[in-house]
Amino acid sequence: MSAAPGIDLQAIPDRIRTEVQRAIQRSIKGVKYLSTSGPSLGSTPKDVLAVRGTMNLYHYRPIAKEVYRVPVLIVMATTNRGYILDMVPGMSLIEFLLKRGYDVYMLDWTAPRPEEKSLGMEDYVLDFIPDCIRRVQRDSGETDVSVIGYCFGGVLSLLYGSIFNDGPMKNLVCFTTPIDFREMKLFHNFSDRRYFDVDRLVDSVGNVPPEMILTSFEMLRPASRTASQVQLWDNIWNDEFVKSYRMFDRWATDTLPLAGEYFRAITKDLMWDNKLHNDAMSVGGRAADIRNINVPILHAVAEHDHIVPYDAAKPLIQKVGSTDKEEVVLKGGHVSLVAGANAVKRLWPKIDSWLGVRST
Amino acid sequence: MAEKSNDPAVIWQTMIGEMEKGFNTFANQAMTSPEFSRVMNQVGGVSAGVQKQLAELMEKYLSSMNLPSRAQMVGIGERLQIIESQLNEITALLRQNNIGGGRDDQPLTPRPPRTKQPPSSGGGSA
Repeated sequence: MSAAPGIDLQAIPDRIRTEVQRAIQRSIKGVKYLSTSGPSLGSTPKDVLAVRGTMNLYHYRPIAKEVYRVPVLIVMATTNRGYILDMVPGMSLIEFLLKRGYDVYMLDWTAPRPEEKSLGMEDYVLDFIPDCIRRVQRDSGETDVSVIGYCFGGVLSLLYGSIFNDGPMKNLVCFTTPIDFREMKLFHNFSDRRYFDVDRLVDSVGNVPPEMILTSFEMLRPASRTASQVQLWDNIWNDEFVKSYRMFDRWATDTLPLAGEYFRAITKDLMWDNKLHNDAMSVGGRAADIRNINVPILHAVAEHDHIVPYDAAKPLIQKVGSTDKEEVVLKGGHVSLVAGANAVKRLWPKIDSWLGVRST
Repeated sequence: MAEKSNDPAVIWQTMIGEMEKGFNTFANQAMTSPEFSRVMNQVGGVSAGVQKQLAELMEKYLSSMNLPSRAQMVGIGERLQIIESQLNEITALLRQNNIGGGRDDQPLTPRPPRTKQPPSSGGGSA
């Protein structure tokens, strides 16, 4: 009897031994997985500069001997927690920026309380961001501030920059920021104005519950949660895999509710009327035309982003009025663009090389 | 060593990956139809209404049992977080007083000079 081509019979006992060892490890580590919590996240030392309801402003303690003149304010997406950018040492964009000599602040969000359901787009763009910028200026002693916005944090930063286009924002970096909401095809269909009664939803629930936000994200890839759990079981013997899985899984499921009026504005102005793309957006009665933005701008987008597809993000660089503007398309998805091994290799060095020369 | 193409573990992982991709693609196609949106929003609307009524009922029940609801516990948790944050601010102010002798123009913690230059211009350190 002869072996099938490509099969090395001598290697089979080793392979069986390895699989048996892994099966034993799976049982032991599976129990350990259920009885322990994941790694501690977001632990880079920081000071809380301000808390106003859902708004939190942190200052990360510098670790370099000297820092760039211009401080950096990171504006986090309103649906998720900021610790995606500060996972664990070695996997933290914040730590990376601090080591490279940036003075880093973050505008992060906590769940809006029931009484904050009336917060609207104007509260975020005309109040929270300008307030944080003022506090960063006061704390750092500098007038100029660079802004980094992630996903919808990028949209808020763009709206802010288009209204306050005479400063003090010096540079703008956006990650995976949607402009043409028609191109977010599934979200667009989920919120089809013929069938989705946003007024009824907001009027009945107040703040939009996080479970609803999480479900709509998971529906974009309905098989992925089950597949990732199968992968976890396959690799549960591998401590590094499990650590990484826990970090990302915890973050992905730690979704925030959205303030009711803010959600209503996103649905009507952006999803239905596509006002940002149609140059018709206004916030609190003030025109927010991104063609007015004239500061240096970098837009980093992911090749395989299932949340903000490239076609939704592409118009940003085409539209802004800046002469110093660059789009960079990197391998990865919506999250792996900014965090994890892929980001360490690709996005982080790009941010440093782009922002460093513009931060003096 | 067995070739990768014959390794059962690799075959299994590839199969899972392909099934995931295939199902996601199939589901995404189905979810772009207006019919899907109509059904989803009908079900979602009913479910949101039922959930809201259930939550109100549960709140009344818990109140009658003299027990706090989940929302109240979350509220307490968030207020505790705010108290912690304010304690942080007070601590930072105390530290500021120690460092700057109470002067308002001093930062909360000692700060490095803002003199760094990008590596290409010959100055600065990583």
